[in-house]
Amino acid sequence: MDGQLKCGTVLTSESGNKYTVEKLLGSGGQGEVYSVIANHKTYALKWYYKNTATKNQKEILDNLIQSGQPDPSFLWPQDMIFKVYGESFGYIMPLRPKNYKSIVDMMKRKAEPSFYCLCKAAYNLTKGYNALHGKGYSYRDISFGNVFFDPDTGDVLICDNDNVSYNGAKTGIYGTPRFMAPEIVVGKAKPSRNTDLFSLAVLLFYMFMLNHPLEGRREAQIKCMDIHAMNQLYGTDPLFIFDPDNRDNRPLAGYQDNALIFWDLYPQQLKDLFTASFTVGLQQPNRRITESKWLETFANLMSGIMICPNCGAEVFYDVHKDANSVMHTCWGCQKAVPVPTRLVVGRSTILLMTNTKIYKHHIDGEHDMETVVGEVVQNPNNPNQWGIKNLTKENWTYIKADGTQIPIMEGRSAAIAKDTKIDFGQLIGEFH
Amino acid sequence: MSGLKRPGGELASRPLHFFWIVDCSGSMYGEKIGTVNHAIQSTIPEMVAAAENNPNAQLMIRTLKFSTGASWVTSSPVNVEDFAWDDLEAEGVTDLGKAFELLSAQLTIPPMSDRALPPVLVLLSDGQPTDDYKKALAELKKLPWGKKAVKIAISIGQDADDDVLVEFTGNKELVLQANNAAALTKMIKWASTAASLVSAPASVAMNDEGAVGEEGTAPVIVDMGGRLPDLDDIQEGDVW
Repeated sequence: MDGQLKCGTVLTSESGNKYTVEKLLGSGGQGEVYSVIANHKTYALKWYYKNTATKNQKEILDNLIQSGQPDPSFLWPQDMIFKVYGESFGYIMPLRPKNYKSIVDMMKRKAEPSFYCLCKAAYNLTKGYNALHGKGYSYRDISFGNVFFDPDTGDVLICDNDNVSYNGAKTGIYGTPRFMAPEIVVGKAKPSRNTDLFSLAVLLFYMFMLNHPLEGRREAQIKCMDIHAMNQLYGTDPLFIFDPDNRDNRPLAGYQDNALIFWDLYPQQLKDLFTASFTVGLQQPNRRITESKWLETFANLMSGIMICPNCGAEVFYDVHKDANSVMHTCWGCQKAVPVPTRLVVGRSTILLMTNTKIYKHHIDGEHDMETVVGEVVQNPNNPNQWGIKNLTKENWTYIKADGTQIPIMEGRSAAIAKDTKIDFGQLIGEFH
Repeated sequence: MSGLKRPGGELASRPLHFFWIVDCSGSMYGEKIGTVNHAIQSTIPEMVAAAENNPNAQLMIRTLKFSTGASWVTSSPVNVEDFAWDDLEAEGVTDLGKAFELLSAQLTIPPMSDRALPPVLVLLSDGQPTDDYKKALAELKKLPWGKKAVKIAISIGQDADDDVLVEFTGNKELVLQANNAAALTKMIKWASTAASLVSAPASVAMNDEGAVGEEGTAPVIVDMGGRLPDLDDIQEGDVW
């Protein structure tokens, strides 16, 4: 493939670095992406077409470079190659490592995460957009094409950040069909933080369900999926496929099998968020599910996966099933899955199994699912007894059924037992 | 565990039928057909890449040639990943009507499935049909899929007869001018991306003002950065 830049061209950036063009990696609507080398390190260069190399774009990039990445998940612009207005320009960003796969690969089942890694990818992705929105930005084009994930770890990378700008600012993008909020599709609104929340919900639904949230019977009945059909499905007449009050657009077997297969595998907590996203959230942009609500739910999903003792499949624990005395059954072998003891702390429920980790988020609700604060351990003096080990520097307090309080210092463990509690400082955990 | 991490299958997709319809009459002899052969072959990797990035469509390609008579180069639709270009030669007259007849036969249900993305028909010609194409074109445009198809024509050479091509596309802006080899290559490349415009996996750019249209005028078609014609209002009719 021939691009605008020849291999071996040396480009000097605004910060004075010299980048040598290695090869063309791809091209899109706005420009081309090359690999470039500076000081023995490889980077990516996005090089705009002349007509997209606008003053507005340059100003957006200057701002992004100055402000710095909101979160490590972003492949953020870090340097600028620019001579004068009227000529093409480009920006430098980190190169995406090869172990990261696209969401398209996930959709085509070419990149297959476990349920745990899927939840973690959803968590990391949401956390990234949360950090971006926290800086007052909106992304404007959340879709398949600009998110990558590592199927083995659930780590994510968010690309194409050159349309990111202050919420409400003018940029050159409406979004991607199927991901655009209905108010954009019908021409009533421009991309904003609230339309990002809709696109995020669509992307998350695709990841968990391998189906579009608005593609049910109505989509199946459309013969020619053209612009008019798309405007109707995603704009003028959208209806959630699992709308509790209107069954007109339920998924159809043979057309939308994934939606039928996956929906009931997930806990009610997740289904409730999707339902709110695509019922109230279709009509009321300012009542869409916020990132913190998603994060809380994904943290619970990650902490609530049981392994089927019969076939090894991952099965989600659902507190609603427990409350209604409904048995958990395995989707792989249809056998009953016994529910282990749970630690309930604030809004988190953690299934306690060998090697279960307690994360900082669980004891303070601050969305840190990386820092381990405790773990399930076996009592070396009594292998039948299991406990929670304090891996923090703070003391916890063990509260026995009779009210006796015992401090749990760093490195000490407290037995998992009925009617006992652990005071983690901000929140108190109970065993169920 | 048997290796199955999650149940279910791939994201459901719809077929997108893409047709190269190439004029191989004597007037295309030499440089013209040579450039067409080279340009179409060169776009294949890009079409494959675009298809890989689009989980909503299965891109199927076919080639139809016409000169004295018309015939399928690839008789059945070929998945873009398996598509290879066979060089075409030019001689004979311009039986465009015959080509439309063959197209109509393929755009009828069956063999077309009743659920699909709009087909894309790309006609490359220098015009001057020698048979009565009007009746065949009218028949083609009467078919549901013929009506819904995105019709693009590439007008080859300065002496090309554009009127026929405009009749085919129904829109002057979708007759792309290719007066030299470089322009022809560029237009073929652009036409090949029409497949991704139709299935809409890509970001939608705003117009220069960034303005939002009146209610109902949704920004639904990808603009190729103003370098080439918009595919706005290329469809007619309602949802069916």
